[in-house]
Amino acid sequence: MEHAYMGIDVGSISTKGVIITKQNQILSSAYIWTEGNPIGAVKKLLKLLQEGFDDKNYKIVAVGTTGSARKLVGTVVGATVVKNEITAHAVGTTTFHPDVRTILEIGGQDSKIIIVENGVAVDYAMNTLCAAGTGAFLSSQSHRLGIPVEDMGEIALKSEHPTQIAARCTVFAESDLVHKIQVGHTKQDIVAGLCAAVVGNYLNNVGKGKKIIGPVVFQGGVSKNVGVVQAFERALDTHVIVDENGHLMGAIGAAILARRNKKRTEFSFDVEDMEFVTREINCGGCPNNCEIICVYRDGDLIDSWGNRCEKGHIVAKKASHLKDVNV
Amino acid sequence: MAKKQDLKIAFPMIANYNEVIRYFIEEGMDQTYIKQPKMTRRTLKLGAKYAPDMVCTPFKTILGSMIEALEAGADTLIMAFGYCRLGYYGELAEKILRDLGYEFNYLNLAEYTTGKYRDYLKALDALNPKAKKVQMGKAGLEALKMMQYIDQVEEKYYENCGFAADRKAYKAAYRRFMNDMHKAKNVNDINEGYERCMNTFEEIPVDKGEFPLRVGVLGEYFTVMDEFSNFDLEQNLADMGVEVHRWMNVSHRNLHYPGEKNLHASIKDYVKYEMGPTSTANIWYAKDCAEKNFDGIIHVKSAGCTPEIGIMPVLQRIGQDYKIPILYLTYDSQDGDAGFQTRLEAFYDMIEMRKKVNI
Repeated sequence: MEHAYMGIDVGSISTKGVIITKQNQILSSAYIWTEGNPIGAVKKLLKLLQEGFDDKNYKIVAVGTTGSARKLVGTVVGATVVKNEITAHAVGTTTFHPDVRTILEIGGQDSKIIIVENGVAVDYAMNTLCAAGTGAFLSSQSHRLGIPVEDMGEIALKSEHPTQIAARCTVFAESDLVHKIQVGHTKQDIVAGLCAAVVGNYLNNVGKGKKIIGPVVFQGGVSKNVGVVQAFERALDTHVIVDENGHLMGAIGAAILARRNKKRTEFSFDVEDMEFVTREINCGGCPNNCEIICVYRDGDLIDSWGNRCEKGHIVAKKASHLKDVNV
Repeated sequence: MAKKQDLKIAFPMIANYNEVIRYFIEEGMDQTYIKQPKMTRRTLKLGAKYAPDMVCTPFKTILGSMIEALEAGADTLIMAFGYCRLGYYGELAEKILRDLGYEFNYLNLAEYTTGKYRDYLKALDALNPKAKKVQMGKAGLEALKMMQYIDQVEEKYYENCGFAADRKAYKAAYRRFMNDMHKAKNVNDINEGYERCMNTFEEIPVDKGEFPLRVGVLGEYFTVMDEFSNFDLEQNLADMGVEVHRWMNVSHRNLHYPGEKNLHASIKDYVKYEMGPTSTANIWYAKDCAEKNFDGIIHVKSAGCTPEIGIMPVLQRIGQDYKIPILYLTYDSQDGDAGFQTRLEAFYDMIEMRKKVNI
């Protein structure tokens, strides 16, 4: 039996998973929507991963989780490594593109830039305070225009005169967009304008002050939008690489990190059938009133976090069975 | 001469410095000092509720902790000043508190900053006209000593606590010292507490290995020093196994500042003009960290802090010139700490992987 490694990336919008071999060959992969239910999404994801997985010749010996639900999902699947998405993306991308210098990443609600030198990240930035210029912005505008978000890229490519859209703020961008529709701009020009706006916003916020040197790799869900890719190429005046597995890069990075780590625990797909529940309890030990998240497997507490001091552990212990917690 | 009036005096919470003020008020001014509870999310919520939304976060926590001081029974508030918007905050906080219906005596130090000693003495007169100048001077010097000890203990603690064989004992010594300062009644108490703490620090073995990760923390005066405001940044870093260095503290900035002229000389390639209360010092320190081959720099500011926003392009240049990674953290009263953890962990991973390659 050969060893295999699983990586799971649970973001705000989508949940991604891969199983890889020692040689970074992808044995199985899946990409689904999170739909506001990370635990449910992961169970679904595991079913999909299991379908494509050859359990006669391989066994999964380590699991890495990343993304905004990394901690919760890490507890649920018994991850050996729980890593932030910046590191996971950097590790995944540099493995497949060892000469990369700049990684652009635009996800559902966050966007980041990672600067790489000699295969290691040396600088990064992430959007703060606002999600303008991310996937969430594109998908909300696609609803308004009545165009599936997946088709936006192709439509944008047809435009010859992208509309200028003020995209500093998502809400104001929408006002501007409505105005431009009302004065008669074509849909394709507007969609191309939106793609350019995402790029402009990204370079002005996240990319501010960073030297963007090629090779440039663009990933995250938005990298699937060819309109945005083209807008990036125009703005940066350089070729932008989009890996066919770009949307899985976080998950791949998590799997690679799990492999590099020494910890080994054989993974079983049985978790699909267990019941996981989370509860938020307020500590009440001081006026800070920390919100402690407790995770229960089949009614028993398996992990808790969120407290800023030791008092929280005592409070969580009192709630060690789901039946003791008042809902 | 006016008669002494018994006052219950308080000062907004800031880092670990309230004990210094307490010592001076009690031992030098012969008045009662009221210490409000440590800052919590309640403090921030209170402040955010009554403060203008776009004001920087320190104003909100200061306002919140003034309200908590009044709730704790204080009848006199002292407010500090500074060379940014802080200079106006004293006035603004007073207006808001009076509008809320609180009654209290108010000593806004910004009103006495003429640069003449005579005027500072007037400020003290307001607290107790009967206080003896000799006693005040003596307690003042002792309070300054306490302040420097606090800064020295903090410096040593964050540089080493991540590597101590017994981290719990290391932290316990640190906490005991803060408690000793809380109880100190005279200069002997201060000295004894300091020596006991430093001796314990020495006794606990610290193993840093050959190449420990070293990070310099700098930024806006209040947020960079106050652990509640920066989500315990230094402890978080130290717990990951990092030697944490922070030059910015009250002793360094207000007592041993090498002077703007000297700072300008060493950063003249980067800076022509003074840009704000701590800007020059931060640029100088960033360059100093870079020259000492630190593994990274973390720049801390509250959202909307103009002087610190102003120095960011300069820091970016230093980062490029010396090839040192810089993490920029902005703290907002709306923030959760999840984003903070993500950025900090990623920064740690980055400097650690980079170090492995470079050794």
